[in-house]
Amino acid sequence: MTHQTPHSTIGRRRVALIPMLIVLLALVIIASVAVGAVMLPLSRVMRALLQPTTPGVEATDAVIVWEIRFGRVLLAALIGAGLAVSGAALQGLFRNPLADPFVIGASSGAALGATLAIVTGVGPVSLAAFAGSLLAVAAAYSIAEIGGVVPATALLLAGAALNTFLSAIVSLVMLFNEQSTYAVLNWLLGGLSGRSWPQLRTSVPYMGVGLGVLWVLARPLDALAFGDETAQSLGLPLGWARIAIVAATSLTTAAAVAAGGTIGFVGLIAPHAARLLVGANHTCLIPASALLGALLLLLADDVARTVLAPLELPAGVLTAALGGPFFLYLLKTHQRILGARR
Amino acid sequence: MTRLEARELTCAYNQHTVLHDLALIVQPGEILALLGPNGAGKTTLLRALARLLRPRTGTVLLAGANIWRLRPRAVARRLALAPQSEGVTSPLTVEQAVALGRAPHRGWLLPYTTHDYQAIEQVLTQTDLQALRHRLITELSGGEQRRVILARALAQQPQILLLDEPTAHLDLRYQTELLALIRRLAQHDGMAVVVTLHDLNHAALCATRVALLAHGTLIAMGHPEAVLTPDCLSQVYGVTVVVTPHPVYGTPLIAPVFASQQKQSNEGDKPSDGP
Repeated sequence: MTHQTPHSTIGRRRVALIPMLIVLLALVIIASVAVGAVMLPLSRVMRALLQPTTPGVEATDAVIVWEIRFGRVLLAALIGAGLAVSGAALQGLFRNPLADPFVIGASSGAALGATLAIVTGVGPVSLAAFAGSLLAVAAAYSIAEIGGVVPATALLLAGAALNTFLSAIVSLVMLFNEQSTYAVLNWLLGGLSGRSWPQLRTSVPYMGVGLGVLWVLARPLDALAFGDETAQSLGLPLGWARIAIVAATSLTTAAAVAAGGTIGFVGLIAPHAARLLVGANHTCLIPASALLGALLLLLADDVARTVLAPLELPAGVLTAALGGPFFLYLLKTHQRILGARR
Repeated sequence: MTRLEARELTCAYNQHTVLHDLALIVQPGEILALLGPNGAGKTTLLRALARLLRPRTGTVLLAGANIWRLRPRAVARRLALAPQSEGVTSPLTVEQAVALGRAPHRGWLLPYTTHDYQAIEQVLTQTDLQALRHRLITELSGGEQRRVILARALAQQPQILLLDEPTAHLDLRYQTELLALIRRLAQHDGMAVVVTLHDLNHAALCATRVALLAHGTLIAMGHPEAVLTPDCLSQVYGVTVVVTPHPVYGTPLIAPVFASQQKQSNEGDKPSDGP
């Protein structure tokens, strides 16, 4: 038995990376405010951010920084974090490295809600997406439930079938409403064009609660990795843990999708990249996923805003275009740690 | 003193009854080995004792209380199960995996305390995992993963320990060390141990009592020397065995005999008897 600080080791070996990621995220946030159709030098960004009312700051700087970019940048970071943490939690719950925030119906439900809102012109699109997302997950959950028990595999299958079914309905609605096709497609691709403070303000409470609950559930997620029976024999109330994880991830995902559309891939690859950096222990994995997801979506949005400026690309296309090859590289080089090989 | 008791236990998966009207009591300091052919119901019995399988009829009593009336965490503080195998999908380190055994004591939300870390250290030493503590469990061999499972169960500091085939996949050294560890836990720490085993010799070496199961019913239960007899074993397993005393301990040592060879040796005897 060692008597010299035995707790120096558990999960702390690579925890030092988390403060480094926080610093990196802060730097990328500032840099993201600087880039765009109008490039601002960092010194002017900092001045506009820290002392917006001093006479030395140009009025247009303050407007660009505060009214246009800063809110959008923070929203991108929040959505990225939300999707990444939901992905990490669902990969843990399902013990499946393929899981992402959308596996149990969140994206297709949101897509159907948004499509119907766009086509009919009734109600705000983001609210329809939020409601559609939650309803779809609730439907998948209640279909998979038999006698008070929700087997993880049944939930996964119900989600997959529901995704296919709802996507087919979205396609049908688009076919019969050609004039709205572009607007629907634009929403489906996901992006942050024109989003800023209002979207940030509405999503912060939901995401805050969802992310907080998922971080608190880190230890149950660790236990669930060993299978339901082991988790149960360690005294985990399985039903409650599962419902809390599903509720928190769907709240987070619904808020993310309502604010930014169905941005793919962040929720799949950010958790894997985080696992490579800090390990599989969810107490570290969840914050690391949040930080990496935020970084990933920020960078994708920066590229989306700048490559064809003043035109904008949907950030969702870029996350997939940049994330896909990166994920394939990780898969090729780190199969075992990703859990893809035993 | 915590004892575990099963009364009139009948368990079934869907319509298929796996355990019939089974009763047993395990006292502190005792090692009960569950023996029997494949499909006899050994693992089902362990799952029922561990509160993982709700019995069709009958009860499991932990220190006199119906185990299904207790909260899962309250059960996990006193009773630990080391399953035969489990999905190892998450690349936790050995230490992180073992630390999960502290969850029943610390709860699912609070950080571990110095006391928890001390318990983890002790268990890592007991199971000879100190050198592997920072390795990822996904990169361990089957036998090493078995030791991690055992270590996590021991980290629960249980009064009752249920082990499903703990010696499977272990090499001779770790088989022997594991049997010695089980004996020490029972004799020293007063743990009550229920262990399923396929190797009858392992049971003879470490158990204080053995229970022989076949087709979900208890065929015999008692002292190893009383139960591990040629008659009893050939009836349950359908194999001829020879039982001799262990050269050092005098406990039963069971050697199977091939059916065909027995015939051959009988035939070989005849001509020499003839003239």
